[in-house]
Amino acid sequence: MRMNGVTFYIPGANLPEPTFLSLDDTNIRTSEVQGIYVNTLSQAGMLQIGDRSESNAVLRALAVQRQEDHPYAGDVFFESYVIFDRPIPAFIDANDPDSFVVTHRWNACPVISVGCISITSAGAAAQIVIGTGQTHRSEARIKHIRQYKGRHSLPPAYP
Amino acid sequence: MIFYVVNHEICVGSIEVLGVSSSSLLQVGDNDTISLFSMFDTPPESVVVGQLAPLELPEGFENAEGERRPDGGSGPVTIKLR
Repeated sequence: MRMNGVTFYIPGANLPEPTFLSLDDTNIRTSEVQGIYVNTLSQAGMLQIGDRSESNAVLRALAVQRQEDHPYAGDVFFESYVIFDRPIPAFIDANDPDSFVVTHRWNACPVISVGCISITSAGAAAQIVIGTGQTHRSEARIKHIRQYKGRHSLPPAYP
Repeated sequence: MIFYVVNHEICVGSIEVLGVSSSSLLQVGDNDTISLFSMFDTPPESVVVGQLAPLELPEGFENAEGERRPDGGSGPVTIKLR
């Protein structure tokens, strides 16, 4: 990895090639927050103070309420439910040159000013970001089921 | 199409949020592209099977436009699961 002429490497971490934020100092806005209060951050929730380039947040959750105890009722598998394999709707980009949108931004005031932020809870791949970003993609799939005691210890293969 | 954006001064007093959940995003700053997805599934097996607690009718239900007992009585409505 190379950034600002400094090469660094994290041993053991199989990280993808990083993409860096294009720092155009003349056209970037600074976020200014006086205070932030967060009660709970859970389940892949994130609070970031600072700029970033790319972020990709994914959470897959199975919320199971069971009549029988987990050691007796067996494991629960994501593969049993099609919601976790269902394709994400694709964004359809314009093909013809007339439909391309070229955006130019001019920041007349280079500061976004916020007083106090008070958040009770953030969870399920939610993100709280104070700063500039480039691309953000996030995905969360939650299935909420109840399982009753039956003859089979495995969960039903129900969509 | 060429789209010109001029960002003038923005000043927010305070933000109060109860919950940020299921791949949602709260950002103070700029971003080029954002794509968020969330799927929440409540299937038929999540139904509550059993005795429902008898609920009292709400105040002023005589003038309400919603459900009314067919026999005109005023006692609590019992729902039976087949």
